Amino acid sequence: MTQSPIKKAVLDTLTLFVPAIPFALVFGIAVNESGLPALLGWSTSPIMFSGAAQITLVTLIGEGASLAAAATAALIVGARHLFYSITLAPRFQDQPRWFRWVGSYMLIDQVFALTVTLENRDPNYFRRYYLTSGISFWTLWMSFTGLGLFIGPIIPESWGLAFATPVLFLGLLALAIDRWEKVVVAVVAMVVTLVLADLPNRSGMLVAAFLAILIGLILERIRR
Amino acid sequence: MTVLLTICCVGLLGYGMRAIFIVSLAKLSFPPLALRLLEYVAPAVMGALVMTMLTGPEGALAVGIPELAGLILAAVVVARTRNVLAGLLAAMGIFWLLRHFLS
Repeated sequence: MTQSPIKKAVLDTLTLFVPAIPFALVFGIAVNESGLPALLGWSTSPIMFSGAAQITLVTLIGEGASLAAAATAALIVGARHLFYSITLAPRFQDQPRWFRWVGSYMLIDQVFALTVTLENRDPNYFRRYYLTSGISFWTLWMSFTGLGLFIGPIIPESWGLAFATPVLFLGLLALAIDRWEKVVVAVVAMVVTLVLADLPNRSGMLVAAFLAILIGLILERIRR
Repeated sequence: MTVLLTICCVGLLGYGMRAIFIVSLAKLSFPPLALRLLEYVAPAVMGALVMTMLTGPEGALAVGIPELAGLILAAVVVARTRNVLAGLLAAMGIFWLLRHFLS
């Protein structure tokens, strides 16, 4: 018997969201330190719905960067969604048109990580799972970034809560790996990003992702 | 006001980046090689993102022994259990412990 997509999506979302709570608090600290009005800072949650890009934008504005520079950096950080969009495009082909437009808004790292590895290929199952997960993440992210504005600044820095964010994304990375070729690709991406860390606006991560996918292509060729 | 406008622009362009291929490639048939290649997107992009978060603004690795131990443990736990929450708890546990004893 297959589990209901809605129940499975809610459970999967909760186990992925708890690790994102410190991320929401870090966002609250960033808004607080930027000097932006709280509501304006929070408005990035529904408008952008992308934690990493929101923190980048708010932090840079707070540091006095020009709005254009802050926007550019946030867009580069968000550019990985282009990769997610092309990866999930085949799975959206047998879906209704409205879902392609609505689903795109919910295409965040976690929803991508959960749905890209979904084994059930039934289009209805995929849509119900995707929507449930997307709406759950959205509701939780709106609530906790709101709470983070108040709770974030009173948490002592010595707790090192900010460390939870890279751990969360490393967890998403580990979820995406199911054979050794993908380990190689991930390691290449990490090493190249490290080497290119000095490129402006963190654009090295895009070059690194491209190169790593090319390595994946070579590995596929060798395997055959 | 201009800040709100900037946020809206970034939000709109961000939405465009998420929607572009999902909407525009709705009718295209993907060759098998392309489909296999797309499997590598998640590890490549997530790997690059994790390293971006670990490198400080000046490009130096801002990671000590407690962080490194936490990250390795998290990767092992998530790979074995497929549970990110378990990975986070293990990582934060060893991170706090080592930081306490090493300082």
